Amino acid sequence: MTKYNIWFFSSLIIALIVALPIITIFFSFFSETSNYFTVLKNTFLYDYINNSLAILISVLVITFLLGVISAYFISFYEFPLCKFFSWALILAFAIPGYIFAFSIIAFFENYGTAYSILTSLFGEYNYNPHIPKLDGVLGSITAISFSLFPYVYVLTRSSFFFQSNNYIEVGQNLGLSEKETLFRIILPSARPAIIAGLALVAMECLSDFGTVSIFSVSTLTTGIYNSWLSFDDLNSANQISFILLIFILALLSIEIYSRKEAKYHQPGRGFKPINKIQLSGKKSLLAFSFCAVVFFISFVFPVSQMLYWTFKFPKYIQDIDILKINLNTIYLVGLSSLVLVLISLFINYGSRISKSKILNYLTNFSISGYAIPGVILAVAFITLFSNFSDLINENTNLGSTKKLFIGSIFGLILAYFIRFFSLSFNGIKSSYEKINNSIDESAYLLGYSKIKTFSRIHVPYLKNNIILIIVLISLEIIKELPITMILRPFNFETFATQAYVYASQDLLEAAALPSLFLISWASILILFSSKYILSQKN
Amino acid sequence: MSKHFLEIQKGNFIASEKNKVNDVNLIIEEQGQIISLLGPSGIGKTTILRTLAGLQKLNSGKIFLKGKLIASSEVHIEPEKRNIALSFQDNSLFPNYKVIDNINFGKKRSNGNGFDLDAKEIIELLHIDPILDKFPHQISAGEAQRVSIARSLISKPDLLLLDEPFSNIDQSLKEEIQVSVKKLLKRINLTTIIVTHDSYEAFSMADKCGIILNQELKQYDLPYNVHHEPNSVEVANFLNKGIFIDVKVVDSECAVHRLEHDELGEIRGKLSNNFPSGSKVKLLLQPEDLIHDDQSKLKLEVVDRKFRGTNFVYTLKTIKGEHLPVFVHSHHIHQHEKSEKFGIKTPIYIDHLVCF
Repeated sequence: MTKYNIWFFSSLIIALIVALPIITIFFSFFSETSNYFTVLKNTFLYDYINNSLAILISVLVITFLLGVISAYFISFYEFPLCKFFSWALILAFAIPGYIFAFSIIAFFENYGTAYSILTSLFGEYNYNPHIPKLDGVLGSITAISFSLFPYVYVLTRSSFFFQSNNYIEVGQNLGLSEKETLFRIILPSARPAIIAGLALVAMECLSDFGTVSIFSVSTLTTGIYNSWLSFDDLNSANQISFILLIFILALLSIEIYSRKEAKYHQPGRGFKPINKIQLSGKKSLLAFSFCAVVFFISFVFPVSQMLYWTFKFPKYIQDIDILKINLNTIYLVGLSSLVLVLISLFINYGSRISKSKILNYLTNFSISGYAIPGVILAVAFITLFSNFSDLINENTNLGSTKKLFIGSIFGLILAYFIRFFSLSFNGIKSSYEKINNSIDESAYLLGYSKIKTFSRIHVPYLKNNIILIIVLISLEIIKELPITMILRPFNFETFATQAYVYASQDLLEAAALPSLFLISWASILILFSSKYILSQKN
Repeated sequence: MSKHFLEIQKGNFIASEKNKVNDVNLIIEEQGQIISLLGPSGIGKTTILRTLAGLQKLNSGKIFLKGKLIASSEVHIEPEKRNIALSFQDNSLFPNYKVIDNINFGKKRSNGNGFDLDAKEIIELLHIDPILDKFPHQISAGEAQRVSIARSLISKPDLLLLDEPFSNIDQSLKEEIQVSVKKLLKRINLTTIIVTHDSYEAFSMADKCGIILNQELKQYDLPYNVHHEPNSVEVANFLNKGIFIDVKVVDSECAVHRLEHDELGEIRGKLSNNFPSGSKVKLLLQPEDLIHDDQSKLKLEVVDRKFRGTNFVYTLKTIKGEHLPVFVHSHHIHQHEKSEKFGIKTPIYIDHLVCF
């Protein structure tokens, strides 16, 4: 029997808020088709889909190769700087695709960084025709692949770690060669983790807005953005969103299913950690070179490019109010984290003590926000609150409520809440589930009330996890572009929006400083949380 | 109202369709008694403890503690207000606190019983000293169980509930801890209910023992009586002490009752239940009831022999196909192999003739 108490209604409200964008898009899809959408359907829509799929498939292949090979080398072999690479490779998480895109453009463009290097090495000459042009779809694929491969790397590495040495030894005992062991034992048993990693990559790739927009590639996300911004047609934007959401939700299901399967590969009793093999000679050089090249391209290259520009064009250091952007970022991050963590704690606690099944379903439903791409969420958000405002306007004397939600910090935090509630809720939930129910019962039996049990047992236990969740939320918000771009208050800049605004005005060199700050903040947060990211629990 | 220390009246304890115990009537007359509840795993013993502690609601019936109604279908006093401590089977130590802090958590409520007991003494008694500064994940399951008992004791409850308290403790330490805990409980006069599936533990620790089988409290009696005079075939089978053989009551009137078995002949002793002479009954024959005697004319075939440390357990076969267990001390001068004949002292005399 479900109790309709404060926990039930709070969870219901949160679930509804988080589900609002999906509901809006769903209803928009069945509303009347506008002229623009009809035109779009006969012209660019298939280009959007084709480009999105072409980028998606290529990114999946590249991230698979980069992630699995590096995870394999690092998990099973010892070679120079192996330990360093084990955490250094996740620093690529600090480089959003759009910053990688700036770096590629700056490096390969006519008279760009590659040209300058060649000139300083070999003297003046027109090198431009000989420098490959990595732009458009190719550039997008490269940028997105190198910024997303850590998903595959982290999950695969974790799965490799869990593979008991016993299985490998049994394989060897049955006469399998090293290569056969890899293809017949190691990879098949890591398959769910690899698929889960690839599904995340695919979701992020389809959601990407910044990178494809910098390279002027028409995909579903830029289509949504253009429908809204250029044609002022929210309905079409939502209809394209619906198509994209179908892809994303299919991928989300694959990811959830794979993760469930991956659980069966967790070690039981008798687990023996892998005995790493010391490599030497050519093999050692191969492993080292592979990891070094991946690390160089994914992290050193964009950071160097941004540093180079920052110091080559020092005037932007004075022009950009970097202190204000820092404060804006801290303000957003602080407020959002506080709201997210407090509400996640509240709902988790309610779900724990009320033990209601309906409450569990509701909370599960409310975590769907993370699957919705930022652009979709922002456009749905605008649709919803514009309609809401019109409704209020028509029926009351309160005036427009648009300003309350659109172009306000409140609206921005609310959108972040919808997008990142899953991260925060699940993060706390995973830790909460480790506190056995009988621990609460023990506290009650020792005379502690529910509130005291929460403050004296739960909170101290969850403390580290809460800090980690704050770090991860901060990382996401610092890198977040489309929601902030679309919903921020006028003249309110974050590192991401400032960099994007400059880049879209063809002032790539001006985008370097905010990008560099973004990377620095993100790197610090990643290093702080790397112990967890690389711990075998993820 | 109840004048007893604890009284359960027609209690229905239900955790799930499978895990429930119905119609329980149980009385602990005086403070300081130790009661054990014995039964197979998953039968509902823990459900009784959890309900007594207030972690689950009583479905029907009444529970009185020190004369006060603490649970019924209408009344439910919250666990934190009952002053009942429960030491869980899985120990439930607070993971983010050291052992010493876990134990000190119990002090919060140590105002109830007021018995003379300090933390130092419990720590010494339960051999916890070397692990005080460790976290729960750094200690063994047995150590965690001891810490859990210590934490419960330090809260000085009116009633202590122990759920399989010694199940994870090393055999070498188990007996010593059982003896020490029992001594301590008696000294501080703390009423305790122990749930266990180990009959030796139940008998050695408790003043009274309850047997829970098939969703019912089948027998609640002194451990000696439960062992020697199980009140039903089910209890006897659960305690797994022997087998039932078909006998005829020859004389149930005299001081010494007499039974007759087709092959074993006359069996003498005291019938636990009244049966008229001439009735055919099933007699519980336990391994210690038959005595080996090479000179005896009554000989049965050996079909099995097991070494059990201090004893050999021989299994003998009657012509009717009954398999009778017999203990023989392992220092016995000679052994019998399978198929050999094995002599049994006659006439057979059994103190408690348990018949159904």
